Amino acid sequence: MTGDIMDAEKIIDSLNSKFPEAISDTNTESERRISAYAAADNIVEICQYLKDELQFGHLSSETAVDLIQKNEVDIVYHIGSYDHPVVLTLKAKLPRDKPQIESVVPVYWNANWYERETYELFGVQYMNHPDLRNLVLPDELLGDWPLRKDYEGFPQNTAKNLV
Amino acid sequence: MDEELKEKSYEQPVAKEQAEEEENIPGVVTTTSQEINKFLQKTKAQDFINWGRKNSLWFMAQAMGCCGVEIIVTGMSPMDTDRFGIIPRNSPRQADVMIISGYVTKKYLPALKKLYDQMPSPKWIICMGDCSISGGPFYESYSTVQNIDEIFPVDVFIPGCPPRPEALIQGFLEVQKKIEAKEDKGSGYDR
Repeated sequence: MTGDIMDAEKIIDSLNSKFPEAISDTNTESERRISAYAAADNIVEICQYLKDELQFGHLSSETAVDLIQKNEVDIVYHIGSYDHPVVLTLKAKLPRDKPQIESVVPVYWNANWYERETYELFGVQYMNHPDLRNLVLPDELLGDWPLRKDYEGFPQNTAKNLV
Repeated sequence: MDEELKEKSYEQPVAKEQAEEEENIPGVVTTTSQEINKFLQKTKAQDFINWGRKNSLWFMAQAMGCCGVEIIVTGMSPMDTDRFGIIPRNSPRQADVMIISGYVTKKYLPALKKLYDQMPSPKWIICMGDCSISGGPFYESYSTVQNIDEIFPVDVFIPGCPPRPEALIQGFLEVQKKIEAKEDKGSGYDR
């Protein structure tokens, strides 16, 4: 990397000026951690811009948070950079009854298994994912979405030997 | 869901009468090995067989949770389980004892059943640790199979989280006592 090392403020400014509509609720938690909400429709463009222009080349994790009171599912991307000392937490709000978002596998190839796991545990449908099926969940549990807050399939009684 | 899991239960594996095809060879009277077994179990020869069996309890090195670390220690030289004839084996084909040493998930249960099927009879099962006995800290999880003793014929339970290697050796000694007293589930006595 030959460019400048950008600090948190510069990165947020760059994102805001490039995507004035799509980026909202930017927050500088510290000089090393920033967070932003992205519009779900523009998530691939934003990730492409982050990777190509801002050198955010490392998708550390991708997961979801089930916010049952707000009736929404937040997809959370933790994106790190090898050039800037900043980790970006990018979030996208989805409606809870039909969560659908574009897959970021064309940008970050390692999102493949993250998205499969988020799919099997939260039921988030990733559009244009190369191979969207369950990762570790057994087939008979697929469709129950076990990590959602209203999942009812937990054993209601304790095991026999505990009583 | 639970009924499906318990569908293939291993309770009384031998007592179940199955239609066995008799092979017709001219001049040879054939029988099934089960009948020899049943005949021997009524004689004193079974005592001698049990003496041999209890002193060569080879266990399958199949670690499933953090108790697997204790299994590894038990198989190492400081514990010297060889003096009881307890030797770790890497293949279920060569093993006599299966140690269920961790939480059994719904995903892993079919594989565990397959491993158990691959072991040659007689075979014994030790439940090691709280996880395999009752689910342990994970008893309320969406993917844990509860009450593993309804699925497999378990001879000995070793509580602990995890049990020390000495406790595991004690468990093996209890299996030996049960085999000697003809009270184990692995030999398939008719009761």
